[in-house]
Amino acid sequence: MPGLTSDLGETSDVPFSSEVGPVVYPLRHGLKPPIAARFSISWSRGNSLRVSGFQSEADDSEVVRGKVVEVKLGSGDGEIDHSQWRRIAYGSVSPFALLQSRKNSMVAVSKMSAVSSPYDAEWSDYVMEYSREIGFLLGGHKLSLSVGIVDTKTVLKKVEEPTCLKAAWELMVIFYADHKSQAWTPEQLVDWLADYDSLLSGTQPTVHSKLVNFQKELASLQAIEDDDNYWEAISSVLAVGWLDVAVKMLRLHGSYQLNQVGSREIENGLVEAVAVLISKMPRMRLELAPGKLGEYFGTKPDFIKAWEKWRGQISKLDCSAFWVQCDHRQTREGLKNLLQIMLGNANILSSVTCHWMELHVSYLLHIRPFTMGLENMKNLAQKCMQFKPVSCPHKLMTLLLGILGENTEVVLAECSRSFGPWMVVHAAELLAAGNTQAEILLHEERHNLGGISMEELHRLVYAQVLSSHALTWQIGPIYLASCTKQGMALLKILLYKQPMHHNQILLKNIEICRLYELHKVSSKMMKIAGVHHWKHGKKGSGVFWLQQARDEIRLSRIAQQLFDFVGKSISDESFKQWEGLIELLGSESRIAGGLEFLHKYRDFKRSLQQVHDGIATNRAQKAAESLILLMKNPSTPQRFWLPLLYDSLKLLNWQEHPLLNVSQTNLLLNKLQELSIGKAMPFFCLSLLPLNALSSSRLLLFEVVSFSFIVEKLCT
Amino acid sequence: MEKTVATLDKGTICSSWNYSGQRMATGSTDGTLAIFDSVDSASSSFTCSSRSRVHEASIVKVVWVPPEYGDAVACIYADGTLSLWEEVVEDSRPLQWKLCKDFDKSSNQVLDVQFGVSLTGLKLVAAYSDGHLKVYELLDPLELKNWQLQAEFQNVIDSVSKFGKAACLSASVSWSPERGESQQLSFVLGFNSNIMQLNSAKVWEFDQDHQRWLPVAELALPEEKGDPVYAVAWAPNIGRPYEVIATATHKGIAIWHLGLNPDLDGRLSVEKVASLSGHEGGVWEMEWDMSGMTLATTGGDGVVRLWQSNLNGVWHEQAVFEPTI
Repeated sequence: MPGLTSDLGETSDVPFSSEVGPVVYPLRHGLKPPIAARFSISWSRGNSLRVSGFQSEADDSEVVRGKVVEVKLGSGDGEIDHSQWRRIAYGSVSPFALLQSRKNSMVAVSKMSAVSSPYDAEWSDYVMEYSREIGFLLGGHKLSLSVGIVDTKTVLKKVEEPTCLKAAWELMVIFYADHKSQAWTPEQLVDWLADYDSLLSGTQPTVHSKLVNFQKELASLQAIEDDDNYWEAISSVLAVGWLDVAVKMLRLHGSYQLNQVGSREIENGLVEAVAVLISKMPRMRLELAPGKLGEYFGTKPDFIKAWEKWRGQISKLDCSAFWVQCDHRQTREGLKNLLQIMLGNANILSSVTCHWMELHVSYLLHIRPFTMGLENMKNLAQKCMQFKPVSCPHKLMTLLLGILGENTEVVLAECSRSFGPWMVVHAAELLAAGNTQAEILLHEERHNLGGISMEELHRLVYAQVLSSHALTWQIGPIYLASCTKQGMALLKILLYKQPMHHNQILLKNIEICRLYELHKVSSKMMKIAGVHHWKHGKKGSGVFWLQQARDEIRLSRIAQQLFDFVGKSISDESFKQWEGLIELLGSESRIAGGLEFLHKYRDFKRSLQQVHDGIATNRAQKAAESLILLMKNPSTPQRFWLPLLYDSLKLLNWQEHPLLNVSQTNLLLNKLQELSIGKAMPFFCLSLLPLNALSSSRLLLFEVVSFSFIVEKLCT
Repeated sequence: MEKTVATLDKGTICSSWNYSGQRMATGSTDGTLAIFDSVDSASSSFTCSSRSRVHEASIVKVVWVPPEYGDAVACIYADGTLSLWEEVVEDSRPLQWKLCKDFDKSSNQVLDVQFGVSLTGLKLVAAYSDGHLKVYELLDPLELKNWQLQAEFQNVIDSVSKFGKAACLSASVSWSPERGESQQLSFVLGFNSNIMQLNSAKVWEFDQDHQRWLPVAELALPEEKGDPVYAVAWAPNIGRPYEVIATATHKGIAIWHLGLNPDLDGRLSVEKVASLSGHEGGVWEMEWDMSGMTLATTGGDGVVRLWQSNLNGVWHEQAVFEPTI
C-alpha cells in the first residue's frame, strides 16, 4: 500500500508539493500489442496486488501467453534488500512492543497518581533506549569513521554504505528523542553530516564527492602542495568540521618529508601551527568520539572562554611575520584560507562548501555555534539555500526542513512518503516523545479516517505491508494489537486470509487467536480446515477439526452421511473406514443419540461379520440379540430398519434352529409393517437395497414366525 | 517491482484467486477450468495443477465459494448458464473436480454471481439478463448440490413500477464483507441495461422478521439514476462508523458512505464523497484491499489504478500501473 500523503498545501511553509500526482509504475505483462484485451485484478494478502493479463483472442501466437504479475506497493525504494528489510522488521518488534508496554504502564500509573505528564526523565530514557536499539538495527556500527586517512595515500576509508533510512532515523533522534543533548544540537548536526554527506552526493556535488575525486588524483601527485585541489579539499573538510581529515591531509604536505624539513622549516612550521590550531578547535559538546580532534566543552561559558582564546591564537598567527618568509605561494594562500575558515569568513565558507546543508553546518561550526532553537536553524537553513539553491531537493533535506519548520504533518508525510510505512510507525514514537503538539496530532481521532488517529492509521498500513509476505505476516498482529479501534478487525481479516489447510499455519493462527482472545475466529478457521480435510479424503482430520470448532451442524451432517454410508454395504474395507470415524466422533456431542445407534450398529455388524466368516451358532445368537436391541431402540433411525433386516436375512433363515422367538419375530414384522405404511416418509429410501428387500424380508419373517411358533408350541 | 507469479494457458479469459491467495482458478474460451497452485504456502510461483473441460461454451467468470464450504468455484459461461464445480476426493478415487450443481437453464443469461455467508448459511445471488436477481440458499453445509431458491426480484426500489422488457448487458454484485453478527446480510447490485429503473446500484438487505429482501439505499444522485452501472464494490469495514461502497458508471467512479443505522422508513443514509475520473473506455473491475482503504480498478484503457483517501478525507488517484511490453 502506498504511503498516505497529506494535503499540506496551506499549512506548509517549506517546499512541499501538495498536489502530488499519482505515481506511475510500468506493468510488464509480456503481451504483444495491441496490449492485452483485458486485465483482471485481485488483492492478495496485505498490499500485494495481482494483475492477470489476458491475451486478446485475435492473437494466434503460440509463444505469447497471458500471465499474472504481482506488485507489492509501498515496500521501499530498493535501497534496502528484502532480507535486510525482514531483519529490520523482526528486529524492531521487540523494542516497539517494549516501548508500548512501558507507555501503557506509565499511563496506568499516571492515571492512578493523577500526574499529568508521563514525559519525565524515565520516559525520556525509555525513548532513547528504543531509538538506540532501532538505530543499531538500521546499521550496526557508527559510521563516523567513513572519512579518514588510513595511510599516506588513502584519504577515504571504505566502510559499510550508509543508508538514507538510517540517516533519517538519526535526524529524528537528534531533534525529537535526544532531549538531553538539545543544547548541543549544532554539533550533532555536524556529526550527522559527517556520517551521511555521501548520501547527498547523488543529486549534486558534495564535500564528500570532492574528497573522493581528490583521492583518485592523489596517487599521481608528486608535490601535493602544488595542487590547488589539495588546498581546496582541506578547506572544504575543515569548513564542515572533519578536523581529523583536515589535519591528516595537512601532514601530507611535502615540507614534512625528511629531506625537505631543513630547507622548508618556516613553511613546515606554519603548516604544523595551523594543524595544531585545527586540532585544538573548541567544540561545544558533551563528548568526542575517540580519535576525533578538537577540545570539547559542555557549557557555554567554558566554551566561550576557550573559543575566544583560540580565535585569539588564530588572529595572532594570521598576523605573524613568518608568512612573508614562506616562499611557497600555494601553501601560504592555502593556510591563510584555512585560518579564514576558522575565523568564520562567510564568503570563504560559501565558496568551499557545495551543498546548502554543508554551508549550514559550516555556519553552525564557525560562525554561529550558539544557534539554538528550530526557528533560528530554519532561518539559517533558508539563508544557506539562497546561496546554494537545489533544483530537486533530496528526501533527507525535505525531512530536515519539515523538522526545522516544526511542522509535524510534513515530517510524518515525508517519513511515510520517502521512507515507507516502517519508518513512519517507528519514528512516530520519537515524534510524540515530549512534543505535545505532535502527540495531539498523532492521537487525535479523525472522522475522515473513519474515527481513528493518525498513529493508528500508520500502524494499520504497516501491518498490511507486513502481512503481504509469508515470512513477516506473523509480526503484523503485534502492531495491530496496538491499534485500539480497528486493529482487531484487521487482524481477523488477516487471519482469515491464511491458508488453513496447512497444519502449521493453522496452529500458528490458533495460537494468535488464543493470545488475543479471538475465539470465534479460531473456530471459523478450524471449520475451514475441517471442511477442507473432510472433502479431500482426510476424514479423520476433518472430523477432528470440526469437533475442535464445535461445528455441531456439520458434525451432525457427517453423522447423517455415515448413516447413509452405513446403510449401503457391509464390505470389510468400508466397515473399517466408518468404524474409525464412529470412534472419532465420540459420544460427547449433541448428536449423541445418533452416535449411540452407530455404536450399537457397529457391534451388530461386527458379530454379523463373524457369522459370515464361519458358522458359529452362539455368535449368530449374539448377532440376533444385537438386531433385536437395535430394532427396539428408539434412537435407531427408521430408515435403517430395512437395511438391518436385509443384512440379517441369514440370521432369520438360520438353518440349525430359529434364533428369534415369536415375540421378537413379531416385533420385526411390526417394524416392517410400519415401513410399508410409511413409504412416503421423507427419509424412506430403498434405492440402495434390492427392490425385493421388503418383500423378501417379510416373507422370511413370516416363515420364521410360523416356525418359531411351532418350536415354542412343541417346547411347551 | 512486479514479479510474474503464473503463466496462463492460451485462451484464458478470466481468473479468480481463492480466499488465501494460494489458489487461482482460470476459465478459457474452450470451456476449460484450470487450477493453479504453489508448491508451499511461502512460495509465490503458481503452476497449473488441474485442467478440466467443464463446458462447451467459453467460461466468462469464475467465483470461489467461501472456504468453509469447500474448495469450489462457480462458473458463468458465455451461453449464460451457471454451474458449481468442487474439488473432492470420493471413496478411493483420486482428487478431482466434480460438477456439483447445474443451475436451471432459463432463457435469461446469468451475468454475475457472488456468494455471501450469513449466520444461517451460504447464500448465492445471481443477476440475470432480464434484470432479475435470484437468491439461493445452500441446504446442507457439506453438500454444494442442494440449493433452494429463497427469493427472486428485480433491482428496483419501487416494485410496482412498470417498464418494458429489460435487456441487460452486464451486472455487478458485491456482498457486504462479513461483519459482526448483529449486522444484517446485505449486498449491492447495479445493472448496465436499457431500463433506467434497473440500472442504479441498490443496497439490498434481508429482513429477518418478514423473510424478504428490501432495498435500503440507492447509490445514485437524482440526476444520475438511470446511468448504467459497470461495477460495484463494497469495502471491508474494520471499524468505521459507516460503510464505503464504490460504484462505476460512464461518468467515472463514485465513492459512497452508507450509514449504519436505518431511518424510520428503514432506509440507510447515503453520501457521495467522491467522483473520480480516470479510466477511459469505462471501468471493468474494482476491488478493495483488505483494510478497505485502497481501491484498485481496471478499465478499457488497459491501465490499473489505485485510489485512496488522504488525511482530510479527499479521494485521489494514488498510483497507476501502465502496461508496457
